[in-house]
Amino acid sequence: MPPTITLQNVYKNYRLWGRGSQFATLKSALLKRDLRLSPESSIVAVKNVSFTVERGEAFGIVGRNGSGKSTLLKLISGILKPTSGRIIVGGRVAALIELGAGFHPEITGRENIYINGIMLGLSRREIDQRFDRIVEFAGIGEFLDQPVKTYSSGMYVRLGFAIAVHVDPEILLIDEVLSVGDEEFSQKCIAKIQEMKYRGVTLLFVTHQLDQVRNLCDRAMWIDHGEVASVGDPVRVVDAYLQQVSSGAPVIPVLATETPSPEEEEEKNELVEEERWGSGEVVLSRVALVDDSGSELVALSAGSSVAIEMDVEVRAPQDDFVFGIGIFHADGTCVYGTNTDLEGWLPQRLDGDVLVRFVVPSLELVAGSYRVDAAVHTRSGRAFDYRRGALRFVVGSRVHDTGVYRPRHKWEFDGAVRFKSVDMLERNVPAPIAEYIRDTEEPPKPEYRKRKKREE
Amino acid sequence: MTDLYRHRQLILALTARDLKARYRGSILGFFWSLANPLLLLGVYTLVFTRFFPNNPITAYPVFLLTGLLPWTFFAAAILESTVSISSNGGLIKKVMFPAEALPIVVVLSHLVHFALAIPVLLVAMTAFAFAHQFRMAPTIALVPVLMIVQTFFVAGIAMVVASASVLFRDLRDIITNLMQLGFFVTPIIYLIDRVDSRMLRALLRLNPMTPFVVAYQDVLYFGRLPRLSDAFLMLAYALASIALGMTVFERLRDTLAEAI
Repeated sequence: MPPTITLQNVYKNYRLWGRGSQFATLKSALLKRDLRLSPESSIVAVKNVSFTVERGEAFGIVGRNGSGKSTLLKLISGILKPTSGRIIVGGRVAALIELGAGFHPEITGRENIYINGIMLGLSRREIDQRFDRIVEFAGIGEFLDQPVKTYSSGMYVRLGFAIAVHVDPEILLIDEVLSVGDEEFSQKCIAKIQEMKYRGVTLLFVTHQLDQVRNLCDRAMWIDHGEVASVGDPVRVVDAYLQQVSSGAPVIPVLATETPSPEEEEEKNELVEEERWGSGEVVLSRVALVDDSGSELVALSAGSSVAIEMDVEVRAPQDDFVFGIGIFHADGTCVYGTNTDLEGWLPQRLDGDVLVRFVVPSLELVAGSYRVDAAVHTRSGRAFDYRRGALRFVVGSRVHDTGVYRPRHKWEFDGAVRFKSVDMLERNVPAPIAEYIRDTEEPPKPEYRKRKKREE
Repeated sequence: MTDLYRHRQLILALTARDLKARYRGSILGFFWSLANPLLLLGVYTLVFTRFFPNNPITAYPVFLLTGLLPWTFFAAAILESTVSISSNGGLIKKVMFPAEALPIVVVLSHLVHFALAIPVLLVAMTAFAFAHQFRMAPTIALVPVLMIVQTFFVAGIAMVVASASVLFRDLRDIITNLMQLGFFVTPIIYLIDRVDSRMLRALLRLNPMTPFVVAYQDVLYFGRLPRLSDAFLMLAYALASIALGMTVFERLRDTLAEAI
C-alpha cells in the first residue's frame, strides 16, 4: 500500500516582515516607495525533512520546544505551505492542533457542533448522524443549549475533541492535545485514539508525553533544530532523545526558532520545574539517579540496578530528621514511598554533610516516565527541604507490558503446548534478558518440549 | 470562485452564526443594526429640512435613505473585513480553514442587515406617498438586482482589504478615514445633478460607489430605470472588483497563517 503521508526534502522558512517586527505598515511601505512584500529576514524552522508514514501507522514526533514539531504538523495539515520540498497527503485529514479553535463563545454548544463539523468538512446530514455520539462523548449534558462562553475549559476541550474524532478522518494529526483535560477524559481520549488506530486510521502525534509515544506509536521520529535526528522504533528514539536532553544541552532551548505557545510554555514548565519547600536548615543540594558505576541516569531499562543519591547539606545540626523517597508514575500514581522513620531508623544526630543513597538492586517498573520526590523532614513532618519532582526518569522496555510494577516472574507450562522458536529480539524480549537467556541456556531447539522456563 | 462555492455550506453557517451571535443577548435584537442609519437619517433630515429650509428635494428622508442604506452596507462591510482575518487568527493558524470565507461572511451578514433595513425604507415611502409628496413606482422591483451586483462589488474589495490588512496593520485606520471622506464624495445627502460644476460632477462620477447610489436613487426615489452608463459601470466595477479580490487573495493566501 502506498504511504499516506510522504515528505520529501521539506524546508520551511518563517519570514519576518518589516523591521524585525512581524508586520509592516502601508505607511512605511509607501514612504520607502517599496510595495514589494520582501521579507527582511527569515528563520529556518524545518530543514530538509523527509519521511513517510504508512497507512494505519501510529507515528510519534518528539523533540524540544521550538524544534519544529508543530510546524511539521501544520505543514502536513496544509495550514502552512512548505518553502520548498514536497508533501503528499492521501486521505481525509483531521488536525487536533487546538481543540475548539473554531468555537464562537456567544452561540450554543449545539450550534457550535454544526459549525465546527462543517469546518472539518462534514455536511449537515453527516453531523446529524453523529450528533448524539458527539454529545455523549463530550459529556456536556444540559449545557448543550447554553452558549459556549459558559463552559468550563474542560468542557470546551472535551467538545472540541469529540467533534474532531467523530469526523471519521483517515489521518489524524494530534498536537499535544492529549495532555489537556482531566485524567478521566485523557484516558477516554487515549482509548478513542487506540480504537481509531485499530480501525486503520493513520495517526501522527506531536507530544512531550514520551510514554504516550512509547505506548501508542509504531514508529517515532526525533526532530532537533528542524532536522530529523532519528527515526524508527519508538523506545529507541525516545531513549536517544532523552539521553541527549540529559547530556549537557539544557532542556529549555535558549534560542527557540518559534515562539512557544502558552500551552507549550506550560508543558515545558511541567516538564522541568520542581516544587520545593522547607525551612532550609537541612538542604538536599543534589538528588540524582545513578547506576552501579555512579554515573547519572535519565533513561534506564526495566530491572536495572540503580540508586537514588542525595547530597545533604546541613546548615544547622539536627537531632530529629527523616529522609524520605517517593516514586510516582507520570500520571501521578504513587508507585512507592518510604522513609527512614517508617523503616525504623531512629535519628540521633545530623551535624555534617552527608551522602544518602537509596539503593534498589533491581528496579522492577514497566516502561514509562517516573518522578521522584525526595525529602528531609522532622519525624512530625515539618519539612527541612521537600523537593517534589526532584528528578525524573524514564524506564524503557521492549516488552509492552502494562501497569506500573513488573514483578520478577517466569512462565511455566505443563502439558501439550508448544511455542515456535524465534529470535528473542524479534519476540520483543528485552535485549539484556534475551542475552541472559542465551548465556544461561542451551541454544533454543527447533521445538520446545515439555517444560520451558523463561525468566523475565 | 469554485473554492467559495465548495465552501458555501460553511459560509452560510458562519453567516448565520455571526448574525445569531450579534443579536443574542441584546433586547432590541437586530434593531440595533438600524440604529446608526436611523440616527443619521434623523440628523440629516433635521439639518436639511429645518436648518436649510430651501431644500429642493421633496420627501427628503426617503431620498436620504435610498442612498444611505447601500452606502452603509458598503462602508460597514469593508471596514469590518479589515479585521475579519486577524480576529479569527485561531482559525487560520490552528484549523484547515478557507480564509477567503471570512471576508465573504462579513459581506453577507452586512447584506442581511441591509435587507432588514429595507422595510424601514418602505414604511417611509408609504408614509410620504400618503402625504402626496412621493409616488411609489414599479422600478422598486429592480432593487434585488442592484443588491446582488453591489454585493459582488463589495465582496471583491472586502477580499483585498481583508488579506492586505493582515500584512499592513494600519490599513484599517486608513480605510476608516477614507470612508468618512467617501460619504461626502458620494451623492447621498445631495443630488448629483444639482452639483453645478461640471468638473466636480465628473470627479464624483469617478467614485465607484456613485453609480450604485445613483442607481438606487433612480429605481427607489425617482421611479425610473438606471441610466445605461451607470448600469454598465456597476457591472464593470463588480467584475473588476471580484477579479482583483481573487487575485490579491490568492497572492497573499500562503503568507496569512504566518503573518497573523
